[in-house]
Amino acid sequence: MSENFQPEIMILFCRQSVDPATDLARAAGLARNCVLRMVALPCSSKVEVPHIMRVLEDGADGVLVVACPEHACRFMVGNTRAEKRINYARGLLETVGMGAERLALARGAKLSAEALAELGNSRGRAVEPLGANPLRRRK
Amino acid sequence: MIIAEWKPISEIVEKLKGHKKVLVAGCATCVAECAAGGEREVETLAPLLRMAMEKEGNSIEVVTATLERQCEPEFVEPLAAKLIGVDAVVSLACGIGIQCLAEIFEDTPVYPGVNTTSLAIREEPGVWGVRCEACGACVLGETFGLCPVARCAKSLMNGPCGGTRENGACEVNAEVPCIWLKIFERAQARGKVDELLRFQGTKNWSNSRHGGQKRVVREDLRT
Amino acid sequence: MNRKAGSRLEKVLASGRFAVTAEIGPPRGPNADVIVEKAKILKGVADAYNITDNQTAVVRMSSIAASRILLDQGLEPLMQMVCRDRNRIAMQSDLLGASALGLKNILCLSGDHQKASAGGKLKGHPGAKNVFDIDSIQLISVVRGMRDEAVQDSGDSIDAPTPFFIGAAWTPLAPPREFRVHRLAKKVAAGADFIQTQAIYDVAAFAEAMARAVDMGLTEKTAILGGIILPRSAGMLKYMNRSVPGVVVPDAMIQRMEKSKDPAKEGRQIFLELIEGVRAIPGIKGVHLQAIEAEHLLPDLIRDAGLLPRPAVD
Ligand code: SF4
Ligand code: SF4
Repeated sequence: MSENFQPEIMILFCRQSVDPATDLARAAGLARNCVLRMVALPCSSKVEVPHIMRVLEDGADGVLVVACPEHACRFMVGNTRAEKRINYARGLLETVGMGAERLALARGAKLSAEALAELGNSRGRAVEPLGANPLRRRK
Repeated sequence: MIIAEWKPISEIVEKLKGHKKVLVAGCATCVAECAAGGEREVETLAPLLRMAMEKEGNSIEVVTATLERQCEPEFVEPLAAKLIGVDAVVSLACGIGIQCLAEIFEDTPVYPGVNTTSLAIREEPGVWGVRCEACGACVLGETFGLCPVARCAKSLMNGPCGGTRENGACEVNAEVPCIWLKIFERAQARGKVDELLRFQGTKNWSNSRHGGQKRVVREDLRT
Repeated sequence: MNRKAGSRLEKVLASGRFAVTAEIGPPRGPNADVIVEKAKILKGVADAYNITDNQTAVVRMSSIAASRILLDQGLEPLMQMVCRDRNRIAMQSDLLGASALGLKNILCLSGDHQKASAGGKLKGHPGAKNVFDIDSIQLISVVRGMRDEAVQDSGDSIDAPTPFFIGAAWTPLAPPREFRVHRLAKKVAAGADFIQTQAIYDVAAFAEAMARAVDMGLTEKTAILGGIILPRSAGMLKYMNRSVPGVVVPDAMIQRMEKSKDPAKEGRQIFLELIEGVRAIPGIKGVHLQAIEAEHLLPDLIRDAGLLPRPAVD
C-alpha cells in the first residue's frame, strides 16, 4: 500500500443526528486520515443497499452511515432498520472480497464539525488496511 | 408467489470469467416481492459483481434492466436493444423467467443468479414459507385449506406422524408448525374431526412432474 | 385359528400369551457377523426382533438382508419398512422379495426425515431426495392388499399372496393427544395386526390413552405392545423428555435417576417397574424392549422381569 493512501470516506448522515449549525466544509477540512465527503439524508432508513453499493462502485473506499441514537429516531424504527440493512450489506461486501469494514454504522446526536471529522478519521483508519477500492484504482 | 434466493456470488463470478459486458436482468414480479430479483436486488448485485470481478483483476462492464415480467415473451423481447454488445446475462428471475430469456436470446448465455426454491407466501416481513408444491391433485378440500404435500416434511396424507413436538412444531423443522396439528385444530374448530378419520388412499402424482413433462393444452385457446 | 402370516409373533399373540419384542440395528457395513454376534446374545429372549430400516436416515445394511441373516440364526425378524426411500413400486417389489426370503413380520413406518441424521454424530445424507410416495397408513393398506387379496396398490394381481403379519407404530402422547387414538384407529382399520408404541415413561398417561383405545374397541382388533427403553442416566431421560417427540418422562423419575448413587442399577430397576406397570394396563398384549447401545443387558433384564423362557409355539 502506498505511503500516501488517503481513503476516501463518504458519510451518509441522518439530518437529525447533526447539529444544524455544523459547517460541513469545515468538517471536511478537519479530516486528517481521509478525504471526507458528506451527504445529508432525511432519515438513515432512507439508505438502501443499492445506494451504498453505488457509492462504493463510484470509487469511495469506505462508507459510514450516521444514524440517530437508538430509540431516538424521529421515524421510530428507521434507524434499527438501517442497522439491519447495513449488517446485510457488510456481509455482501465481505463475500465479494471487498471487506465488511468498508461499510459501517455510527450513531450520533447534534454532531459538530469536529465530531464528523473524527468519525471520518476513524473510518479512514479502519479502511486503510484494506487498501484502495479496486474500482477506484481503475478510474 | 414463486420464491428464489441469491446464489452465492462466488458461483456467479465463476461463470462470468472471460465475459466483457454483462447484463443483470431482474423481474418486478414474484422475485421482487421476495427480495431476490427486483430492481433493488439488481442494483445491489450489479456493483457487487463489478467489485468481485475487479478484485480478481477482470474488468467487466455491467448493465442492468428490470423487466415487468421475465416469464412472458412480450415483456422480454424489448430487451433486445439493451443486449447489444452484451456477451452474458445474469438473470435474477425465477427458473421460468431465466428460461424465457434464454429461449428468446438463444445466442447469449444466460446464467441463473438465484436458486428458485418454492411456491410460497410472505408470512411476515422478511419471512417466506412454502405453501404449494404444484402436486397436480389438490387436496386442500380434504385438509381444511392447509397443504400437507408442501407443508408436511413427509408429505403425509394421513398425518400427523409421531414427531409433532410438544410446542406444536414439526420434528423436522422447529421453525414451522406441524401442519397436521394445524389441520386437526381447524377440523376441531369446525366440529369436523370425523373427516380426518377417513383413510386417504395412495395419491396419484401423475398430474405433476412425476407424470413426465407437464404441459397444459387448451384447444379453445390455441391459434 | 386361521393365521394371517404364521409368524412366531402372531402365534404367541394369538395364543393369548404376553409377547416380547426387541430391536437389532443392522451394521454400517457389509459384515453379516455383526448380526450373527447380536443374535447369539439375544437368542431366545424375544418373540421377534425389529430390524430397523436406515433409522435416523443413516445408511445401514438393508433391513431385508439383515432380517434374513437373523432368520438364518433361528431368530424371528420383524422387518421395518419406511416410506422415505422407496416409492410404491420399489416397496411392493421388496415386499415380494422379503416374503420369498421367508420374512413374515413387517412394521410399517413413515420414517425419519433425511435431515434427522444431520443432528447426530454422522453426516448422513441431508442432501438426499426423499420419496414419501405413500405414507405409513397407506403402506399398511398396501401390504394388507397384497396379503389378503393378492393385489398390488394399482389393482394388478400378484401370483400369490404375501403372508405378512402387519405392524405399525403409535405415539400416544404426542400432540394433538386427543387425535392420537383416532390415528391409531386409522392404522387398525387399514390393517395393522399389531402395534408397537413410542417409549413409555409416564405409565399413568399411557394408561389413559390405552383406556380410550379399549373403549373404541381397538384392542380387540390389534395387539398393542408397549415400548420401553432402558433408562441409562438422568441426562438421557432429560434428553428424551425434551427432544424426542411424544416421549414424556415424569420429573420424579428424572430426579430418582439424578439422586441415585448407582444410576445404571436404578435404570434397570425403573425398567423392570415400567414393564410391570405397562403389563398391568388393560388391553396390553406385550412389550417392545430396547436397551440402546447396550443390547447385551437385555437377556438378564427380560429374565428378571419374569418374561423367560419365551413360550414355545408350534
Ligand atoms: S395439495 Fe397439491 S396443488 Fe394443493 S396446495 Fe398442496 S401441493 Fe399445491
Ligand atoms: S411433525 Fe407434522 S409436519 Fe412434521 S413431518 Fe410429522 S406430520 Fe409432517
